[in-house]
Amino acid sequence: MMENVIEVKKLRKEFGDLVAVNNVSFNVEKGEVFGFLGPNGAGKSTTINMLCTILRKSGGEGYIAGKEITTDPEGVRKRIGIIFQENSLDSNLTAYENLYMHCQLYGVDKKVRKERINEVLDIVELTDRQKDQVMYFSGGMKRRLEIARGLLHYPQVLFLDEPTIGLDPQTRNKIWDFIKHLKERINLTIFLTTHYMDEAEYCDRIAIIDHGDIIALDTPDVLKDNLGGDVIEISTNDNQRAIEELDTLFGIESKQKDGVISFNVKKGNEFIPGMISKLSPTINSINLHRPTLNDVFLSLTGREIRDEQLTKQDIFKQKMRAGRH
Amino acid sequence: MEVIYSLWLRDVRKYLRDKARIFGSLAMPFIFLVLFGSGLSGSLQSMMSMGSNAGGLFSDFSYSEFMFPGIILMTSFMTALFGALSVVEDKEFGYMKEILVAPVSRTAIAIGKILGGSTVAVMQGLIMLVFAPLIGVDLSFLMILQLLGVMIIVAFAISGIGLLLATKMKTTQGFQMIVQMLVMPMIFLSGAMFPINGLPDWMSFVVRINPLTYAVDMFKTIILNKEAMNPMMKQALGLDLEIWGMPVTFTAEILIYLVASLVILFFATQSFKHTEA
Repeated sequence: MMENVIEVKKLRKEFGDLVAVNNVSFNVEKGEVFGFLGPNGAGKSTTINMLCTILRKSGGEGYIAGKEITTDPEGVRKRIGIIFQENSLDSNLTAYENLYMHCQLYGVDKKVRKERINEVLDIVELTDRQKDQVMYFSGGMKRRLEIARGLLHYPQVLFLDEPTIGLDPQTRNKIWDFIKHLKERINLTIFLTTHYMDEAEYCDRIAIIDHGDIIALDTPDVLKDNLGGDVIEISTNDNQRAIEELDTLFGIESKQKDGVISFNVKKGNEFIPGMISKLSPTINSINLHRPTLNDVFLSLTGREIRDEQLTKQDIFKQKMRAGRH
Repeated sequence: MEVIYSLWLRDVRKYLRDKARIFGSLAMPFIFLVLFGSGLSGSLQSMMSMGSNAGGLFSDFSYSEFMFPGIILMTSFMTALFGALSVVEDKEFGYMKEILVAPVSRTAIAIGKILGGSTVAVMQGLIMLVFAPLIGVDLSFLMILQLLGVMIIVAFAISGIGLLLATKMKTTQGFQMIVQMLVMPMIFLSGAMFPINGLPDWMSFVVRINPLTYAVDMFKTIILNKEAMNPMMKQALGLDLEIWGMPVTFTAEILIYLVASLVILFFATQSFKHTEA
C-alpha cells in the first residue's frame, strides 16, 4: 500500500458568506505529482494556502506528512517547500544570499549549507549567476531560483501555486522539465495548481475543482477515457434539429455551446462518414480530436476552463483576494 | 536566534548596498545645519546684541550648535520610522510570504526586523557626526560612546513604533503618508529646532507629552554639556526641562525610554503575530 503524504478531509474555507472551498477531501501519495485544475477563482489558491498554513481553515482536517495544518503548523512548515504564485524573492539580494537566508530561516545545518546551495543551484542551472542580484534576473530565472529555494531544506512535499503563470511557452516547458526531473531525482511529492490544460497533463493525478468543489479526481487518461471516446464538434445550419437527430438516429447525447455541437463517440474517424450522410441539416464544419482535459471540464460543467467570463461570485472572490494582500 | 541575526543582517546589508541612500540622507541635515542654522545664528546674534544686558553672554552662541543634537535625533528618528517601510515593502513585493511560512516564531521575526531597523538608524545617526567639526562642536570619545548608547535605546523604541504601524498598513504609500503626518510635528514640537521655553501653554503641553522631547534632551545633555552650562544660558536654551514642576533628569529619561521600548516591543510583536502576507 502506498503511503499518503497529504490527507485532506472535508477541508473548508469561508470568506463571510462566500464558500471558497467546500468540504474537499483527497489524498496524495508519496512521490506523486498531484494537480489542482480549475478556472481562476475556483478555490485552488485558497486550498494551497490552507495546506501551507498561510490561511486558516474554516473547517475540516488537513495532514501533511502526518502533521495537522492548524494544530502543528510549524511541523508542517518544516516539511514543505512552497513556490508562490507571485514572486517572493528579495530582488536586492543576490541569488546566493536569497538561498542562504532560506537556510537560516529553516535552520538548515551550517555545515551542509554551502553544499546544499550548490546542489540546488545546479538543479536549476543557475550556478554561474549566483553572485548576481535577483533584480537582474528574467522571469524564468526567478521562478527557477524560487524552485531551488523551495528545495533547500529537503521538503517532503513541494507546493507550486501556478508555477508557470506569466512565463513564455519556452520557459514554461523548461520549468516543467525541471519539475519532472526533480520527481525522478529525489522522489519528491509535488502538489501544484494550474489553469493550463496542457500542464495538468503532466500530473500523475488531477483534481478538477470548480466553485470550491472537487468535481472529478483521477489520472488524466482515465478522466479523458471516461468521456467515452473521441470528441467531435460540428456546426450546422440547424443545430437544434441536428441535436435531435443525433439522439434519435445514433443515441448520442450532445451539448451545444457558441453554435458548436459537441459529443463523444468511440472511433470518431469511422463515425463521421455515416453521420454526414444521415444528418439532414447541412454541416458547415467538422472537427475531430482526442479528448483533452478541457473537454472533460466542459462535459462536467458545461463551460470551458479558459472562459474568462467571470461570474459575480468569481469577481467577489478576486476582490477578497486583493483585499488580503 | 539565527533567524533574528539573518533578518538583521538582511536589513543592514541592504542599507550598506544602497550608497545613494546613504549620501542622500546627508542632504537634509546639511541644509538645516549649515544653511539654515548658520544663517539664523547670525541674525539671532545681531538681534540679541541690540538688547540691553545679555549680549555678552550670548556672543559665543551658535544656533547650528544648538540644533546639532536635534538634527542627529531627527535623522535617526526618521530612519528608524521609515525603516519599517521595508516590512510593508516585503508585504507588497511578496518576500513577507517567504518569511511568514518559515518554521520560525513571529516574535523572532519581529525582533529581527526591529533590530535591523534600529541598527540602520544608529549608523545613520553616527554619520551625522561628520558635521560636528563643520559647525564647531567638539566631540570627545566619551561623548560619542554616550551618544551611541542613547541612540540605540531611542532607535529601538522608534523602530518598534514603526513596526507597529507597518503591520497595520497594506501599501507603502499609505505607510509613507501616515509617517509623514507624524514626523514633522513630532520634530518641531520636541525642541530639536528651537528652545522650548516661553511657548504658549497648549504647545508647552504637547511638547511635554511628545516622547521625542526627552530624546532630544538626552542628546543635548551630552553634546551641549548641559551640566557645566551657565544657568542663564541653560534657561535661555530651554534645557531645564520640567514636567509638572519636576525637573527631568537624564537617568529618568533613559529609564523611561527603556521601559517604553519593552512595552512597544510587546505590542509590536503582538500585532505582527496577526499580520497576513
